[in-house]
Amino acid sequence: MKGIFFALAGGFFLTFQSVANARISEGIGTWQAATMTQFTGFVLALLIVLILRDRSYQNLSQVSPLYASGGMLAAIVLYSNMTAVHRMGVTLTIGIFLIAQLIAAVMIDSKGWFDMAKQKIGRMQIVGLLLMVAGVIILKW
Amino acid sequence: MALGILLALMGGAFVCLQNTFNANVKKQVSVWSTTALVLLLGFLASLLAGLAFEGGSLFQFHAQPWFWFSGILGVGVVACVTQGVQILGPSRAISLIMVSQIFFGLMWDTLGWFGLEKVAFTWQSLLGVLLISGGVLLFQLGPKVEQHHALKRKTVEVSDSVKG
Repeated sequence: MKGIFFALAGGFFLTFQSVANARISEGIGTWQAATMTQFTGFVLALLIVLILRDRSYQNLSQVSPLYASGGMLAAIVLYSNMTAVHRMGVTLTIGIFLIAQLIAAVMIDSKGWFDMAKQKIGRMQIVGLLLMVAGVIILKW
Repeated sequence: MALGILLALMGGAFVCLQNTFNANVKKQVSVWSTTALVLLLGFLASLLAGLAFEGGSLFQFHAQPWFWFSGILGVGVVACVTQGVQILGPSRAISLIMVSQIFFGLMWDTLGWFGLEKVAFTWQSLLGVLLISGGVLLFQLGPKVEQHHALKRKTVEVSDSVKG
C-alpha cells in the first residue's frame, strides 16, 4: 500500500515538474529555466547529503567517467521537454516521452549495452509498445 | 506539432540513457549523492548551453519568487521513486509511476492548473491515455507473467516426470 502511494506520488511529481518547468521557461526563457531548476534542485540535494552525513561520494572514483557525467544529458532532456509541452500540451508530451524511453530501454537491454544485464525482448513488450503508439495516435487525432 | 513530437522522442531516449548511466553510478554511490551530482552537472551543462546560445543576456530575467522553489519537485521525484522501487521492485514501481504520470498529465491539461494552456477533455483523449497505460503495464509486467507461466509449466513437467 505504501509502495503504491509512493509510486503514484512519484508520477505526480514528474508531471508537476514538467508543467512547472514549462511555465518557468515561459516566464524567463528555456535555458534560464533549465539552469535555475537544476541549480535549486542541486542545492537541496546537497543539503540532504550534508544532513545525512552521506560520504558515499568518495566512491565516485570507481565509477566510469562516462556514467558519472550522465547528469549533463539533463540539458537536452529539459530543453526538449519544455519545448514539447509548449507545443502540444503535457499529456501528449508525456505519452511520446514514455514510448521513446521504453524503446531505448528495449535496445539497451537486448544488447546489454552500458553494463546492463542482457535481456531478451518479450512478445508482451512489443505488444505493449504498439498499444502505446496506438494510444498516442488516438490522443493526437 | 512535428517538431514537438521529434523533440519528445529525442528527450525520452535521453531520459532512458540518463537513467541507465545513473543506475551505474548508484552501484557505488548513494541515491542522494548521485542525485546531487546529476543535478550539479545538469546545472553546469544548462549554464554552458545558455551562455553559448544567449551570452550574457542569460542572466537578465525577472523570476517570480516561486521559480526558486522548483528544485523541491525534483527532490520529491527522487524520494518517491526511490521508495516506490524499494518497496514494490523496479518493474511494478516504474509501471505505476508511468501510469500515474500520464493520468496526472491528462488531469493537468484538462484543468489548466498553474496557468498551463487548457486542453479540453474529450473521451477520445481518455481512451488514448487508457491505451498508453495498458501498453505500459504490458511492457513492464508482461515479461514477469510470461516467466511465471514458464516456471509453472516446468514445475508441472518435473512433477509429471517424477510421477512417471
